[in-house]
Amino acid sequence: MNVTEEKDLVDRCRQGNDEAWRQLVDQFGQKVYSIAYHFTLKREDAEELAQEIFLKVFENLHRYDGSFPLTAWLVSLSRNLCIDRYRRRKREKSFRFVSDDAVAPLLQSSDDPSSEAIKKERIKILFWALSEIPEDLAEILVLRDLDGLAYDEIGKALELPDGTVKSRLFRARAEVSRKVRERHEERRPTALAAIVMAAGAAV
Amino acid sequence: MSCRELERLFVSGAPESAYAAHGATCLACAALARDLDRAAGMIEGLTPAAWGPGLRQALYDIPRFTVSCEGAGPLLAATIEEEIEPADRARLESHLSRCGGCSEAAATLAAARGLEEPLPSPWLFQRVAVARPKEKASAWRRILAPRLVVAYAYAAAVVVMLAGLNPADLARRAGSGLEKNTRTAAAAVRGSAADRIGAVQEDLARAFAVVKGKAGGYSRAALSNAMALIMKTETRRPPTRPRNGEDGGTSKQDGTTQMTTWRA
Repeated sequence: MNVTEEKDLVDRCRQGNDEAWRQLVDQFGQKVYSIAYHFTLKREDAEELAQEIFLKVFENLHRYDGSFPLTAWLVSLSRNLCIDRYRRRKREKSFRFVSDDAVAPLLQSSDDPSSEAIKKERIKILFWALSEIPEDLAEILVLRDLDGLAYDEIGKALELPDGTVKSRLFRARAEVSRKVRERHEERRPTALAAIVMAAGAAV
Repeated sequence: MSCRELERLFVSGAPESAYAAHGATCLACAALARDLDRAAGMIEGLTPAAWGPGLRQALYDIPRFTVSCEGAGPLLAATIEEEIEPADRARLESHLSRCGGCSEAAATLAAARGLEEPLPSPWLFQRVAVARPKEKASAWRRILAPRLVVAYAYAAAVVVMLAGLNPADLARRAGSGLEKNTRTAAAAVRGSAADRIGAVQEDLARAFAVVKGKAGGYSRAALSNAMALIMKTETRRPPTRPRNGEDGGTSKQDGTTQMTTWRA
């Protein structure tokens, strides 16, 4: 669906066309819910947030002028709501101790339980690392790497030039990778600790 | 610490070969590239969280539970006219609970209807009371107004005088037996009236002659004064005060000071 078609869809929604509204929900509901989930990591919160976002979308349909993709407009409308939830979750330390249930919806079911457990652990570390880096960096990494938005969509949504989006994305990835490496190194037993553990096992 | 060359290459959209070429010469950037690859591997395989049918239906139903900012205007107008349907009222209230702008508009419209009447300053009542036109007095009240009583008294006195009913006269005539014979008294009154009219005419003629003489005298005097003013040629100027250094002043050219008076 190109921008012109999206504008036409929005105009029909404004005129009270129920079928057009259902089409808009079908087209963007999954994306909005996915973004909401990545900012909350909780199904109930994500559903509530998605409803809030679509309420806001419906009430502000007249503001969409069709000058950029509808996805970017949806993200720009929902940004404050998402950030508010994200901050609340950070205050509640919800990202520090991410549960298996929280990351399960983000993984395809696998027949190999050990492989699935490793993936879950990685995702939990990823969300922990995201909570440890600055908010403006984490936001861009989520939108790009987790939600798959294009650079221009992120730029329009966050009102940033493409160069800034790319620069922040690079720094976000670098910060996340540094956090992950540091965490890995902290938890790896040192050589002395390994000797002690081995001696203990021998005794 | 990285030299930030990798970031520059990424922002500029450089090909993979450029990363590899730089990583071969910069150990810090090579380590960072390994970290980035590891982090990218964590993200791979993630799937979008699937939304349930319940949420989908809830999103479908949104137009039934709220109204857009565009649609809120007509519903607000209908609310003011108390012509809004209950379902629309619920949708509007749901929208107002979330939308600050429309909520402000609704409060402003409601406030316009509940305004108190403005109270003027106390002095305004006093001014209005003073400026209020007086009640129209009745004819009798106007006739019997106190200020007219004196005029009535004078008028009555004139009538009495013209009629020859001078109290002194009446008293004198009463002493001559007027009360005994009414006809005689009436004749006396008529005679007295004729005398009085004649006397008044004489008085008026005398007064006119006096006024005429005075007017003539005044006019002649005025004419004489006017002629004198016109013919007057010599004017008298007031004396001027001498200045310093002039004759009769206090300062002299030789520096000595002599106390004199310019009037002398």
